[in-house]
Amino acid sequence: MNVNSRATSKIAVVGGGAFGWGLALAAERAGHEVLMWSRRPQREGSQRVRLVGELAELAAAELVFFAVPSPHMPALAAELGQHLDGGHFLVHVSRGIVGEELQTLSQVLRTRTPCRRVGALAGPLVAKALVEGAPGGGIVASRFPEVQAAVRDALSCSSLRIYRTDDLIGAEFASTGVGLLAMAVGFARGVGLGPATLAVMASRGMSECARIGVALGGRTETFTGLAGYGDLLAAVADDGRPELAVGRELAAGTPLGQLGRQLGAYVEGLESARRIAAYARRTGAHAPLISLCADVFEGKVDSGQALAGLMSRQVGEE
Amino acid sequence: MFRLLSRPLRLPAFLGPTPRPDDPQIFRFNSERGPIINDVVRRVVQHYVGAPQKLLYVLNEAANAEVRRLASQDDLEASDALGTWRRLVKRLGKMSEEERVQELRRIAGDMAEDIAGNFDPRVYGLATKIVPGVLTAIMKPGSLPKQVLGGFRQLDDLVTTEGPIEKLRRLARVGTLVLMPTHSSNLDSVALGYALMRENLPPVVYGAGKNLFSNPLISFFMHNLGAYRVDRRIQAQLYKEVLKTYSCMMIERGYHSLFFPGGTRARSGMVERRLKLGLAGTGVEAFARNQARGVSRPVFFVPATLNYALVLEAETLIDDHLKGAGKSRYIIDDDESSQVKRVYEFFAKLQQLRSAMVVRFGEPLDPFCNPVDDEGRSIAPSGRPVDPASYVKHHGIATVDPARDAGYTRELGEAIARVYQRETVIMWTQLVAHVLYRRLVHMTPELDLFGRQRLHGQIDMPRAQLEAEVGAARDKLREISAAGGVQLGPVLRVQRAAEIVDQALKAWSGYHTKVIASEDGPNIMIGDPNLLLFYQNRLVPHAEALATPETAVAARTIAAMGGGA
Repeated sequence: MNVNSRATSKIAVVGGGAFGWGLALAAERAGHEVLMWSRRPQREGSQRVRLVGELAELAAAELVFFAVPSPHMPALAAELGQHLDGGHFLVHVSRGIVGEELQTLSQVLRTRTPCRRVGALAGPLVAKALVEGAPGGGIVASRFPEVQAAVRDALSCSSLRIYRTDDLIGAEFASTGVGLLAMAVGFARGVGLGPATLAVMASRGMSECARIGVALGGRTETFTGLAGYGDLLAAVADDGRPELAVGRELAAGTPLGQLGRQLGAYVEGLESARRIAAYARRTGAHAPLISLCADVFEGKVDSGQALAGLMSRQVGEE
Repeated sequence: MFRLLSRPLRLPAFLGPTPRPDDPQIFRFNSERGPIINDVVRRVVQHYVGAPQKLLYVLNEAANAEVRRLASQDDLEASDALGTWRRLVKRLGKMSEEERVQELRRIAGDMAEDIAGNFDPRVYGLATKIVPGVLTAIMKPGSLPKQVLGGFRQLDDLVTTEGPIEKLRRLARVGTLVLMPTHSSNLDSVALGYALMRENLPPVVYGAGKNLFSNPLISFFMHNLGAYRVDRRIQAQLYKEVLKTYSCMMIERGYHSLFFPGGTRARSGMVERRLKLGLAGTGVEAFARNQARGVSRPVFFVPATLNYALVLEAETLIDDHLKGAGKSRYIIDDDESSQVKRVYEFFAKLQQLRSAMVVRFGEPLDPFCNPVDDEGRSIAPSGRPVDPASYVKHHGIATVDPARDAGYTRELGEAIARVYQRETVIMWTQLVAHVLYRRLVHMTPELDLFGRQRLHGQIDMPRAQLEAEVGAARDKLREISAAGGVQLGPVLRVQRAAEIVDQALKAWSGYHTKVIASEDGPNIMIGDPNLLLFYQNRLVPHAEALATPETAVAARTIAAMGGGA
């Protein structure tokens, strides 16, 4: 394509879920024209948010957000990738990882498209705040300052603070960890555990994530920052994210079939926990809490066994 | 004056031949040398014009770093330069900005002069004729007259070249090659230079440690074959900037280049897993700079692995590694490669072995990690060509952006490190060393690395068991190789396990001063665990995959050691 034809103020969004719409409306509010592609559009476009029928049309924007669940990312990236070149910036908001080697989704974007300037948007950003323009913050991770600047420009408004980091793998893995830990927090609340137990669970869980994340190439401080602890704090304070609701439903014994629109978050959390647990088993990394989460989400152990498992572990140095 | 060593000898320029149009760019280097140095200085100075604070800082930093270094060097040569730098430190504060710019220009000019190489086609012609002869003469003196007439078969047998060579020849004509080999020996540049010559690939320019220039004869050849001098002792930021600018400009101008992205020889014997790229990163910048001024010459990065059945400096390297001294002894100038006798013995040993060195080129990549096709077009994951220029464009305009290029360079380093793993050729000595080392670990579960490395001549292995485990490990390597995980070297591809063991014992005996392993009745006795560790380290990434159920625990220990120390 002719890159010169790309208007600087066009932003593209793949995925018309709650978060995709949040990004689109935030970008619209920042004065950009938005192109959105959705498999099943759930609402009408607006004055400056145009729904497009073909993925290829998104190539007219320089910055493309991916706001789809991780299982759909590889195929969509490959399809859209046919229309992109090295001039496009791709940023995803997913909390998932793929494959046995815990590939992050920026790695998927790099291998399925010709794009290299990729990044991830993480931290305690929730769709509702994006839609309403409520005060909030997040973090954009990319090795490319141009990508960081483009995301901040796309979403800039006085109430939204977007920090930046070049630790892409760390931010993605932290975000994945927060996704599954938020589900665990919801579950723990659902079975009536108190603040102290929640705190132990959240802290130990984040330490496990950080250990594995660092082994994968991330930096410890990313896990203690907005993409890790910062995001988890918002979940513990109950910011209404879907993972919390899924956790509560699991605790209540709701059959999976009745999870409805929250099924996506369930699948993401379960898959992440399973993959990390399997990776830890294979490599000898220490991740007992995440392994327990995988068993609980899968229904292999009930809440009583989970609590016993959590509390019977040998206590060592932190 | 900024000068440490007198200039290497050059032949008079007016007697030189005129390059032909289809000669590689390097044949024109001598006429471009002056303009290149001028351009390097201009670009470096430009960086500081209009930034008085930055300018003062870089001069201060350079002067103080040099004073520190030269004061500790403490010889006649140093004392001369030391005075100049000390006077500069005193004067800097009082100078006008114009005077400081002048000073910067002078210092950068001296540095660039010191770095810049030379290329003399006559020396190249001479080298192509005599180097194989000299090496052959060392290896088999009696066969020289015959070989001069019939080609240097001895040397051809010794060095095997693999990879997409025809494609590289073609790409060398349409773009600039940046070769990026693994680094395990000071012989690497010689082996690679010979491989390029034999395969009719163009000569390359490369940065060589200044210590290698201390021998006048080696210096004469290196200097006149396009090598530029890198003085690793100089810490000044300005020197690094001049060096990077020089390297970048050479690639911009289409000079095929060579970098060892691991930086220094791999002390542990492992294939480099984390690459910082350093100077090689200038290939990305060179591409962007060309694009920004409308020159669309592509740059191709060519990963290569250099694989030896026997490593000249193995003993020094592994000792240095185990002492944890790798960093402090960045420059080792007293190893085997500096001892003529050891080099002679090494080649004398090699002549008994066939295919003891494998130079394997990997598939070339563009600066953005895309594979390229035979015509040099970058190929996207969809299989369609993608315009490499698009990667250096923002809002449709090609720009030079160091922060962006640093991002690309990091990714390229990771991609090349992955290619290294796949393109590593496992040599028979390495596999036998691995099985013996695994035995050592298996038999000493209570010991840590350092305890184990002290066990000379205490652990043995029944030969029949060694052969069985070598055979089983080779079969597993075959599977890994079929899946594209690694390459199987000569001997391992075709020979039976007993023969592989024999060949390894033969290769080890007679060159290294320490016995690695020896026959002891029906057993093989482990002699020097350090050298064994060095040779087996190439197999660390595959240790667990090669293990039998009985040796799984030992293999896991080896994998967890990640090369030891």
